[in-house]
Amino acid sequence: MLQLVVLSFLAAQAGAEAPTPPPAAQQAPATAAEDRKKLEEQIAKELGTQAQPVPGVTNLPGPAPAVAASDSVKGGSPFGRLLQLPDFSAIVDGALGYTSLSRAQQGLTADPLPQQLVQPLLQEVELAVQAAIDPYARGDIFITFSLDSVEVEEAYLTTLSLPWGLQVKAGKFYSPFGRLNQLHRHQWVFVDQPLSQQRLVAGDGLNGPGVDLAWLAPLPWFLEVHLAYQDTLPGFESVRQLTGVGRIIQYFDLADWATLGAGLSWAYFQAPTSTSWKNLAGADLFVKIRDPASRAYVTLQGEVFARQRAAQDLGQASWGGYGQLVWRLDREWELGARFDGAPFEYVPSTSPAPLPPGTEYGYSLLGTFYASEFLRVRVQPSWQRLPGGANGIQVFASFEFSVGVHGAHPF
Amino acid sequence: MNRTTRLGPALARLGLAALVVAALLPARAEAILQVVTTTEGLAALAREVGGDRVRVESLSRGIQDPHFVDPNPTLAVKLRNADLLVDMGLELEVGWLPPLVNQSRNPDIQVSGSRRLIASNAVEVMDIPSGPIDRSQGDIHPSGNPHFLSDPRRAERVAAAISAKLAQLDPAGAAYYQGRLADFDRRLDAAMVRWRSELAPVKGAKVVTHHNSLRYFLDFAGVSAAGYLEPKPGITPPPSHLADLIGLVKSSGVKVIVVENYYDRKAADLVARLSGAKVVVIPGDVGGSKEASDYTSYVDTLVRALAHARQ
Repeated sequence: MLQLVVLSFLAAQAGAEAPTPPPAAQQAPATAAEDRKKLEEQIAKELGTQAQPVPGVTNLPGPAPAVAASDSVKGGSPFGRLLQLPDFSAIVDGALGYTSLSRAQQGLTADPLPQQLVQPLLQEVELAVQAAIDPYARGDIFITFSLDSVEVEEAYLTTLSLPWGLQVKAGKFYSPFGRLNQLHRHQWVFVDQPLSQQRLVAGDGLNGPGVDLAWLAPLPWFLEVHLAYQDTLPGFESVRQLTGVGRIIQYFDLADWATLGAGLSWAYFQAPTSTSWKNLAGADLFVKIRDPASRAYVTLQGEVFARQRAAQDLGQASWGGYGQLVWRLDREWELGARFDGAPFEYVPSTSPAPLPPGTEYGYSLLGTFYASEFLRVRVQPSWQRLPGGANGIQVFASFEFSVGVHGAHPF
Repeated sequence: MNRTTRLGPALARLGLAALVVAALLPARAEAILQVVTTTEGLAALAREVGGDRVRVESLSRGIQDPHFVDPNPTLAVKLRNADLLVDMGLELEVGWLPPLVNQSRNPDIQVSGSRRLIASNAVEVMDIPSGPIDRSQGDIHPSGNPHFLSDPRRAERVAAAISAKLAQLDPAGAAYYQGRLADFDRRLDAAMVRWRSELAPVKGAKVVTHHNSLRYFLDFAGVSAAGYLEPKPGITPPPSHLADLIGLVKSSGVKVIVVENYYDRKAADLVARLSGAKVVVIPGDVGGSKEASDYTSYVDTLVRALAHARQ
């Protein structure tokens, strides 16, 4: 890893020392470019502003407007205000859920189910508002509604024009920790999160107000480094924690039909009124194999987490992780399988302990039908093996739909 | 001895770092303008007018359905150093391009940026919805049909817009771009005369296509679509729709069902078998087949496909 950082730094230095000159300037004598730069610096100095150009309004004309700015329409456009509206969308997740496990046997979980009943669920309604704020940044706001609560899931700005490959996210957002943690519910392939994500990271995702500084390294492949400072509520704590997060994520094209993503994450938690620290480390791997001419693909994804709490664990690490294989057969059908392992943990108020300490394993299968890009139906049976030898079955039959214009998701 | 042992790995690291740096530097110095396009068709036009003064790379490949390209972060790396991004617009790339542009750290290729060219702004757009729309009508493009590059007349307009944009970005090459554009127009005009002659026998014919993606080419050819394999854009055809389509193919005298090679041709084969029509598979874009290696040869394949529609 150290070698990688050194290489990245050297490459960054190389990039910084040999920037791509503006195309017009390449044809002109070097002195013309220097004169121009000096002039800009002089103007900036005299006006007391930055020499950094405003994106899109350099010395070049901007693109033609989408609607031809012609001519003479009496009274102007009646749609002017409509054209400025942000993208609005709502995404609804509902399900029928069943489990053979008692509440205590389900342990620490984000969405417990009643035992041996088929329970109708409205897991989430997500309302999204997304738009450019100005030429420098865009804003994304996601409000989630459930039957008994409303929450600001995320509300953040993302800069678009910082130099040196930097990008800042500020507001409330999912921590840049691991792969699954940064996904909204409607981006999950499976209906629920793996136990390891719920127990060792956070049931609803590690999330909170703060700031994230991301650097895209000037390398021929994708290498991004994140440093974030947030106020989060991890799944294993009952009070919010000041949190420092670091992440390195890389993507490589192995071939036209194969992409590899590999990431390392680390988080450090500290409650404001306590000196008891917690560490969380994660490693994630993602491989996607897709014939470019086809809608079919196969993905292999896995993450491992290690948590260390100074007070509760006396410095001993708790481990967990999952691996999943997903096969998208065609435009309509998808199959998946997931293996999951995490320490059995329970709600602290449960007394006595419902099960002996140990690892809980989960085995899940998934079948998905996509009626369109905006409606999918899933069935997910799972078998759970608890410490002490007990077994349980859990089944979800879920539907999800979206209306409105929802921004495209990153890879 | 110990010293040698320590120096070895250090030198190896330095050598590797030098290799990385060396690999980066020539790439930056090779071409004057780094042009990135979203499709191979746009890339072909950019190469025609940009010649040796540009280095052109397409984010998608001609064998891909341009609606469904993975927003692979490695594509954001290509956009980071782009001097110009050319996209089709009209929401064709809405499912994958915006997150890549956001990740790229390149402020000038944002939608309003000075190094962004949205090709649809250069052409007359067809199929613009004239009334209220929603997704009960399928996954329609609310701003109009974005598959305009199959029409050589509109390709000329896009090539002219690219030439003008390159001249803005590289004023020293303006005459060069203008000259290459004139040469391209001359060759394309000559090809259009030939294509019109070859298409004359099928003028007025009707065909069936998978998606409404040949709208502009059919308009150029004087051919119309009697129907589509998709009942609505982006919706898989149910048996009832295919049964209706078989009747339509028979009653309208449709001879050919044209399908881009990135679509599953099962439904097309079924309709053809039960109606007596013929399935012709075409490349979806430049680079979509061996024959369609540049823009002119791509249109050649479309012209050859329509020849089967002869009454």
